[in-house]
Amino acid sequence: MLIPRKVKHRKQHHPSLRGRAKGGTSVHFGEYGIQALESAYVTNRQIEAARIAMTRHIRRGGKVWINIFPDRPLTKKPAETRMGSGKGSPEWWVAPVKAGRVMFELAGVPEPVAKEALRRAIHKLPMKCKVVKREAGE
Amino acid sequence: MSEVRIAAEPRTEFGKGAARRARRAGKVPAVLYGHGIAPRHINLPGHDLMLALKTPNVLLRLEGVDEKESLVLPKSVQRDPIKGFLEHVDLLVVQRGEKVVVEVPLLVKGEVGAGGVLNLEMAQAEVRAEATRIPEGIEVDVDGLPIGTNVTAGDLKLPEGVELAMDPETIVMSVVAEAAPEATEEEEEGEAAE
Repeated sequence: MLIPRKVKHRKQHHPSLRGRAKGGTSVHFGEYGIQALESAYVTNRQIEAARIAMTRHIRRGGKVWINIFPDRPLTKKPAETRMGSGKGSPEWWVAPVKAGRVMFELAGVPEPVAKEALRRAIHKLPMKCKVVKREAGE
Repeated sequence: MSEVRIAAEPRTEFGKGAARRARRAGKVPAVLYGHGIAPRHINLPGHDLMLALKTPNVLLRLEGVDEKESLVLPKSVQRDPIKGFLEHVDLLVVQRGEKVVVEVPLLVKGEVGAGGVLNLEMAQAEVRAEATRIPEGIEVDVDGLPIGTNVTAGDLKLPEGVELAMDPETIVMSVVAEAAPEATEEEEEGEAAE
C-alpha cells in the first residue's frame, strides 16, 4: 500500500478539489490511461485495488504506471464522541485528484486487453473516469 | 508535407470575455509571431483547425493575413483537458526553405523479443528540418530486439534533409523484462488453505 515515508505534519487541512487539473492531463508514459472526469480523493487502498485489478487482468507482460501518490492524511473522530477536544486521528491517506488528471497508464498489451484492464480498474475508483489513448504527437 | 489553407480573421477584442465569445461562435483564438514581427491576434475556424491539427506539425497557410506572415506552424496547442476542444493556438511564422526545430512523433514498428516490453522514454524526437518538408513521423524498427537493448537518438534513421536537434546519446526507448504475473485470487486462496 502506498504511504509516505515521512511527513512534516501528521494532521493537515483538507486538500482543495476546486477547479481542474493543470498538469498530467495526457498519457505520457504508456499507451493507454485512466483519466478522471470528476474531482475526488483517491485513497491508497483504492489505488492498490485498481492496480491489482489491472495487473491480474493483463496477467503477463505489460507495464503499469501510477501517476498519483496518496500523500495527504485525512483524520476522523471516533464514533459517539462529543465535538471539540482537538482534531481526530489520521485515518486515511489520499491523493487529491482533480478532473482531467491521468491517474494510471498502461503499455505493452493489445488494445482490447488494455481497455478491459482499465475498465476493471475504473470500478475501484471513487469518481467517473474514462479510458484515454496516447495521441500522435503527445 | 502539403499545406492546409485556413481562413483567418483579425481579432479586435481581447480578454477572457472576448475569447469565450469567440469559442461559443465556433472559433479558436490564436496568436501569430516569429521573424521579429509584432504578435498578431487572430481567430481561426474551430472545426477546420481541429481537422488540420490531427497531423503533427502541420503547415498552415493562413488566408486573410499579410502574405509574408501567412505560412505558419503550430507551436503550442492548448486543449480542454477533459473534452479536448481547442482553447488557443500559438502559431509560428515560417518562410519557405527555412529550417525549423520541431518535435516529430516516433512510430514504433514490429514486436520486441520474447519476454520483453518496450519502454518508450520519449514519444517524439527533436529534429531540424525545412519548414515545408517536416516528416510526419520517424519509423523505429524494434522487431526482435532483446531485453536490455537501448535505442538512442543517434540510432534513429532520419529522412533525407532532416538532422537531429538533440543529444544523440539520449535514450529514446528501451526493452525491459516484463513484470512477473500477479497471483490471481484463486491462487492466493489455494496458498492460504495449504
